[in-house]
Amino acid sequence: MDVRTCLIVDDSRIIRKVARRIVEGLGFEVDEAADGIEALSYCVGLMPDVILLDWNMPVMDGLTFIRRLRTQAGGDRPKVLFCTIETAPERIAEALGAGADDYIMKPFDGEILHSKLSEVGAV
Amino acid sequence: MTQDDFDRLQALLSSRAGFRLGRDRIHLAEHRLAPVARREGFDSVEALLATLWVKPVASLGWAVIEALLNSETWFRRDRAVFDTVAREVLPAIGRARPEGRVQVWSAGCSSGQEAYSLAMAGLDAGANIDIVATDLSMRALDKARSGVFSAFEVQRGLSARMMLQWFEPAEDAWAVRPALRNVVRFARHNLLDAPTDDARFDIIVCRNVLIEMEPARRGQVVDYLERRLVDDGVLVLGVEERIDGDSIAFRPVGGRSGLYVKSPSAVSRAA
Repeated sequence: MDVRTCLIVDDSRIIRKVARRIVEGLGFEVDEAADGIEALSYCVGLMPDVILLDWNMPVMDGLTFIRRLRTQAGGDRPKVLFCTIETAPERIAEALGAGADDYIMKPFDGEILHSKLSEVGAV
Repeated sequence: MTQDDFDRLQALLSSRAGFRLGRDRIHLAEHRLAPVARREGFDSVEALLATLWVKPVASLGWAVIEALLNSETWFRRDRAVFDTVAREVLPAIGRARPEGRVQVWSAGCSSGQEAYSLAMAGLDAGANIDIVATDLSMRALDKARSGVFSAFEVQRGLSARMMLQWFEPAEDAWAVRPALRNVVRFARHNLLDAPTDDARFDIIVCRNVLIEMEPARRGQVVDYLERRLVDDGVLVLGVEERIDGDSIAFRPVGGRSGLYVKSPSAVSRAA
């Protein structure tokens, strides 16, 4: 049986916990990373099926992370959904242009996450 | 809420809207009517209803009815059926009509997400689409006409790409772009009312409405829909809905759940 894995990347521990609860409720195995560097080193070991990605993080932000990810071997596989308070259309377009599969504006709930995961074919 | 009040609410919804208010919704009814009582200046739901039963003012009655309807909706609901309409039905009808003109009726449109979703699909398909969207609820229609949706609403059923394509930021919310507004017209209509003119549609989308109606009323509603549909048009229902014994006017489209076309007897009757 294929277990779907989701990596939650956000510098806020609280947000990671809240998102974890929702994502586990949708049947995913969840792991966490606090910034882009941690997320990259996780992915080198195991490419997750889905990545929920914050934008503004210390050390390495979400935009830099996804650009690096997509150049890695197998880096085109994960469905990457930005998950951020940024709502400006130019920023959303920038994220999509950098290789994100979709974009979730915070705050979000289980309904929206499920809808967005369906959009990218992850559920 | 007393059983007597609830019985009267059931009768009100049934007679005016053909809507079946099940016993299991008594607590929901209390919850939904509390804001109405506040808005109308009553101390409680009981006080609101006591006044309504004694002095049935139409506007108050409709405010109560509107609050009890099941108005939940979202963009591109029942995706599989919606995609079939968007990718197969709309383009096919557009190709068969002069100037690619497709007339669509969203019957029971609530706050407008279905109508705007159909507009997006039609415009993407290059169809010359024209949408009439109707509902019983004035409050829902006001919202639909405003074209403004919250961040929650605009993310349910839409990809980020579609959101950028069809919406622009409006303070903390998102507003439908003029291209969409221009092809949708909202109006109040009660599906229990017989058609009063000859306007006919190529596609009628009436989803998750029949299922909420009194079984005894459904046949009449379906017959009115049949009168409003062109002979080679398509009726779209909700994914859990069936016409079955309600009417012989329609038959299901094989292999396409939710889609119905006129049965041969209905077409020859009209000729």
